[in-house]
Amino acid sequence: MANQIIEAHQEQTSTISRVNVPPAQTWNYLRINDLSFEVPTPHFVGDVYARLPRMFEGVECGIGDEAATWIVRASGDARFVEVKAGEQREQPIYVDIDASATEVRDTGVLVRTGASATIVTCAHGCEGDTSASLLRVVAERDARVTIIELVACGSGQQHLDAIGIDAAEGARIDMRQYALGGSRVALGLACSLAGTGARFALDSRYLASGRDVLDVNHVVRQRGRVTRSDIVTTGILADAARKTMRETIDLVHGAKGAEGSEIETVLVTGDEVVNKTLPVILCDEEDVAGNHGASIGAISPEQLGFLSSRGLSDDVAERLFARALFDDALIHADVAEARQAVLARATEVLGIDVARDIAEVLDIDFEEASC
Amino acid sequence: MADATDTSRKRSQVADVDRSLYDFKYSEEGYERYADGLSTDIVRAISEKKDEPEWMLQLRLKALATYEEMEMPDNWGPSIEMLDLNHISTYVSPQTKQANSWDDVPEDIKNTFERLGIPEAERESLAGVGAQYDSEIVYHNMREEVADQGVVYTTIEDALHDPELEPLVHQYFGTLIPMRDHKFAALHYAVWSGGSFVYVPEGVTLPYPLQSYFRLNAQGAGQFEHTLIIVEPGADLHFIEGCSAPKYYEANLHAGAVELFVKDHARLRYSTIENWSKNMFNLNTKRATVGADSQMEWVSGSFGSHVSYLYPTTFLQGARSSCEFTGITFAGATQDLDTGCKVILNGPDTTASVDTKSISKDGGINTFRSSVVVGRHADRARATVSCASLMLDDISRSDTIPAMDVRNGSASVGHEATIGRISDDTILYLMSRGCSEGEARTMVVNGFADPVSKELPMEYAIEMNNLIKLEMEGAIG
Repeated sequence: MANQIIEAHQEQTSTISRVNVPPAQTWNYLRINDLSFEVPTPHFVGDVYARLPRMFEGVECGIGDEAATWIVRASGDARFVEVKAGEQREQPIYVDIDASATEVRDTGVLVRTGASATIVTCAHGCEGDTSASLLRVVAERDARVTIIELVACGSGQQHLDAIGIDAAEGARIDMRQYALGGSRVALGLACSLAGTGARFALDSRYLASGRDVLDVNHVVRQRGRVTRSDIVTTGILADAARKTMRETIDLVHGAKGAEGSEIETVLVTGDEVVNKTLPVILCDEEDVAGNHGASIGAISPEQLGFLSSRGLSDDVAERLFARALFDDALIHADVAEARQAVLARATEVLGIDVARDIAEVLDIDFEEASC
Repeated sequence: MADATDTSRKRSQVADVDRSLYDFKYSEEGYERYADGLSTDIVRAISEKKDEPEWMLQLRLKALATYEEMEMPDNWGPSIEMLDLNHISTYVSPQTKQANSWDDVPEDIKNTFERLGIPEAERESLAGVGAQYDSEIVYHNMREEVADQGVVYTTIEDALHDPELEPLVHQYFGTLIPMRDHKFAALHYAVWSGGSFVYVPEGVTLPYPLQSYFRLNAQGAGQFEHTLIIVEPGADLHFIEGCSAPKYYEANLHAGAVELFVKDHARLRYSTIENWSKNMFNLNTKRATVGADSQMEWVSGSFGSHVSYLYPTTFLQGARSSCEFTGITFAGATQDLDTGCKVILNGPDTTASVDTKSISKDGGINTFRSSVVVGRHADRARATVSCASLMLDDISRSDTIPAMDVRNGSASVGHEATIGRISDDTILYLMSRGCSEGEARTMVVNGFADPVSKELPMEYAIEMNNLIKLEMEGAIG
């Protein structure tokens, strides 16, 4: 009887609205301000779970309070990792999210003064309902943090992935974000450059195809003096994929000498794609510089002509761009499990021969796996 | 000490002289003024006064119901909390008939427009002029040779009473800006009064611009003019719109509407210099639809108002149609100006170019907001958006919120935005050449605004530069 009640609870779903809401919104009819998700309702049967230290509660993570709260409630035990002051940690901190098992992860990493660490998160799988990850990072003074975020879910998967970062004086955050699959994916990211001279560099890459929905919200709050942010986003949209990219640089009052830059390049290869972009610069300070550039379009006739003269058809050329994305993800995925997840996704998108070839070129063991 | 006094006097003189250009007012004694607030009776009274056809009354009543039903968005845009419609009169009219000679215009109103330079501009460089004072057009005239070409330039009210024009108004009025577009579009349709109706026949090119000037003199009042322009195939028109008001300490409201129909192979340039007083809530709506091989050009300068929501919108419906939007916004103390534009590219091979500048100082808030939407059938459409913002102090604010929605694989959209300040090096360089710091900053700001001012007719470019100078003079020292 008790089991039946639990199963009934598990089947219940609820709607998380206002996912990925940017700090500054615009006309509602454009349907660019937020997204909603239907998710399983977390249920509790008296278990007590480990939670992160309270210091992580104030870390903004871009995906929205409602979604973050759901992840925390649905995740079971939270995982807390502390990198001690001055420690140069070589082994990456790995967060594995098995989407097939509908896993939900809540992780907090505290990188103490002068320490360095690499964090790799990888969501992967083929089928299943909803998976999610919430990673919050506090980087103390002069800390160095590298974050690799991989979402390599299959076409039947829904996934929410949120990252929140607080960077103190002199801290440096280098991040690479890869959205390689998933039928409905929300990526939320917020970075607070609170300390003087803190820096954030993000290289975000995505591929959305079929009828995939990819929804991204990047928020950088530059609060400290002489802070610097550089966001570079490149992506490929194919078939009838729908993508929304929100990028906000918030130059907060008092952030004298701060500079923020965001650049997005989108390659559109499908006739039915929907490509929405909201690049926002908020400026409440005089002595700052904010820049944004975006370029959206197909491969130019000149580029196609050049490739054609070397025997590459339009289709092959477009697949080359997709392959380059997987190459890059594999080069930076520092963990063997993450590499296999990327290869599995490459197999699904590009075919087993291409996936095997990528593995061979990069000298990675290829374990045949696909959805 | 002597220098300081001189400088102070000079600043004071500049401020006094220039502000008086806009900041004078006349008594409303003898004017017809409807009760503050909004009601069915007021809407019916406006319609009755204008002796309108039944369809227009019904449209007004439907709009009133729509206004009462709609809400303002709560997740974006400046606050309009201080705008209380219960303390706004939606209709104020000087008791005078519309004239086509300045000699027939009442002295105080004539003086107003003389001081604004309208009759002089009409004599020198315009094909026709319309002048609205509060809720009604008080003067309308067009050169004979332009009228002889079949050009119609009149008020909407007069067009509604003309058996030949009434069907045209009925056909086009309210079709481009739906009353559900936003709450204040609905309000506009409920209480609209005044404005212009322009019809340019096929193949006619006007040698000089037409100009409408809107002056809101009354305190605690609204102005709701409607401008309807139809440019037939192969025709070419430059239309200029100017607006100003004296400053009061209670809210005024401007909720006009502009509907522009540009047919195939036609061109329309619509230039605006808006210098409403800083107690004005400017919730204006402008929209154009453009046919094949046609051009729509917007030139927009926004200097005044307490709060602005202003986004001229262009639908590029026809193949190879194009849109250029050039705009500048200057937000000073107490101002929160949310301005920009919207472009919807629906036709194949359409092109759009948006180039805007904004300047914030003395705690002013500037928000550049835009949307570029490329429709499914807009093959090979191209759009570029460029917005540059200049921050002149650390108590002001400048945001850019451009949205893009691209639904065609062959389209190409580019966007660039920059926000920054005047570099110390530039100021030092100019000061080393003998400029004062104030002059140096004014020069830089004028240079920043130059791409916009050179698109304006000469007298408006001068006015814009004077406005910038006025704002900058107030900032120095």
